Amino acid sequence: MKKILIIILIFSGLLAYAQEEEPSKWEINGYLKYLHTYFILNDFDLQISDQLVHHRLNIKYFAHPNWTVKVDFRNRLFYGENVKLTPTFNEMITNANNDYLDLSLTLWKSSGHVLHSMMDRAFIEYSKDKLEIRLGRQRINWGIQTFWNPHDVFNAYSFTDFDYEERPGSDALLIKYYTGITSSVELAVKAADHIQEGTIAGLWKFNQWNYDFQWLIGYFRDNIVTGIGWAGNIKNAGFKGEWAYYGGLDDQASSFLGSLGVDYVFGNSWYGSLGFMYNSLGSKDDPISNLFDFELSSKNLYPYNSALFVTLGIPVTPLTSANLSIIYSPVKSSPLFLNPGMTFSIASNWDLDLIGQVLFNKTNKYYSPVQALFLRIKYSY
Amino acid sequence: MKDIKFIIFFSFFFSFGSMMYAQLTPQEVIQTAEDKLRGTSSEAIMKMTIVRPKWSREIELQAWSRGEEFSLIKITSPARDKGIVFLKRGKEIWNWQPSIERMIKLPPSMMMQSWMGSDFSNDDLVRQSSLITDFDHKFLPEKLVDDRMCYVIELIPHEDAAVVWGKVIMWIDKKDFLQLKSEFFDEEDYLVNTIYGKEVKLFGRTLLPSKLEVIPEEEEGNKTLIEYMSLTFDTPLEESFFSIQNAKRIK
Repeated sequence: MKKILIIILIFSGLLAYAQEEEPSKWEINGYLKYLHTYFILNDFDLQISDQLVHHRLNIKYFAHPNWTVKVDFRNRLFYGENVKLTPTFNEMITNANNDYLDLSLTLWKSSGHVLHSMMDRAFIEYSKDKLEIRLGRQRINWGIQTFWNPHDVFNAYSFTDFDYEERPGSDALLIKYYTGITSSVELAVKAADHIQEGTIAGLWKFNQWNYDFQWLIGYFRDNIVTGIGWAGNIKNAGFKGEWAYYGGLDDQASSFLGSLGVDYVFGNSWYGSLGFMYNSLGSKDDPISNLFDFELSSKNLYPYNSALFVTLGIPVTPLTSANLSIIYSPVKSSPLFLNPGMTFSIASNWDLDLIGQVLFNKTNKYYSPVQALFLRIKYSY
Repeated sequence: MKDIKFIIFFSFFFSFGSMMYAQLTPQEVIQTAEDKLRGTSSEAIMKMTIVRPKWSREIELQAWSRGEEFSLIKITSPARDKGIVFLKRGKEIWNWQPSIERMIKLPPSMMMQSWMGSDFSNDDLVRQSSLITDFDHKFLPEKLVDDRMCYVIELIPHEDAAVVWGKVIMWIDKKDFLQLKSEFFDEEDYLVNTIYGKEVKLFGRTLLPSKLEVIPEEEEGNKTLIEYMSLTFDTPLEESFFSIQNAKRIK
């Protein structure tokens, strides 16, 4: 609690100071979003409506040619039926968004409202020539595939959480050295109290035959992990893959998982992507509700053993685009996830999105237990 | 599809010259214009405006290029897209998304996608290829455009060339090799697009149209404008400038 206040104070001080400085030393941006969610849970005969006002402030300060400081704030006001129905709502979002350090603060809480503020980026970076060293809360984005990223060992994210475009950060130290124009070596360590909860890993990226390749090796929460990934093309289609083996230590289960996909943009600007995912830890018979409550990690990215995915993006007009993602798992309950969406640019820096998430699965019959509809308005600054 | 359209678009504003030749073939006129850019580098700040009858949108960007192989484009406005970078090295393209701090490799076919919702494709902005080898060329009678006497050249694509146009006509200024106008026809010989080069200005020692206007024939009230706020040539840009590291860092 105090930590975050101190940091806010320091930064507001820096901001005031900034106004006298050259503007190029600062980079400030963000957005304000309103998200309305409407959930239909057929099994419980329940309809829930929820609202979220979401403010983001990104601050970057170029303190010195070699030193950069970045702090991003995520301020959210939740209200609606879900907040009322979930007594532990505040604890839930606090836990979901913190890493080793507690950089979050509940500013206001009532029976139907939660105002929550957090920092999901707060780091200092030193860079000189080909070397970059970053310390603090940061996103270490090691995924190379479009949809599922078993190499995302520091901060896995769920694609059902579409509203969190920046994705969570991790409290870590990252050392990166660019060995060439398209190649680098990275080493990262995540903060933890016990080695069993920690992650330390290295990634080697290089380019060969017009392909980006990467090799991951490390220790991930009581597992040894290694894997390869690539991004290249077959003719004019993109071809990407990302695979990893997690060897469980002590009583941990081992897993082998990864994904493979192609994407292509057609002459009429339609975008299509097709892929496959395999997860040896995934279930062959769980129902679809698991999609929202299974424990997500880079070792276990999807609740099912395998999945096929298709994405289609259609620019209807320069201001309107439509997209549809379909994920189907060929397992006993035949879970199907449909994710249609429309985006409208209503003015410069103003966007309106309509998004649906519909789940189907088979128990006695094939039906949809959960449907969600989202309406989002976003102003970027 | 939009591929060649953009190649032509690109050569349109990068083609220039100041030498006079006694007897030029149509290929030489185009080649002269193209040669001026080859092997050199450029740095530009530009604004693109997409105009439709009911709305318009502006995009501002910075662009660096070296020959036809290497380019780097950074979006500086509007706020929602600010900081997005495109890096092209040969046939490979990467896209830096600052919000998720991720470098995404794009499929080559993405090149043909519409650029930020405009009439241009990524390829239009980052690739330039030969107008010489894909077409047959013929001089038409010379014409005056904006008080400048122009070569008028008809370009007919080769059968096997991956060109969507049935025909292109270019108006190239005789004195300074400025491309002042180009018309693009479909395979049925209907006019599809016209590009005008306007407001000729001196950028350093190079005379060029500072504004480009793309007018689609069939869609009343639609156009895309490109305006150069600054443009410099032959600034020393090494190949290593077009690196993954620099794409993330460039300001």
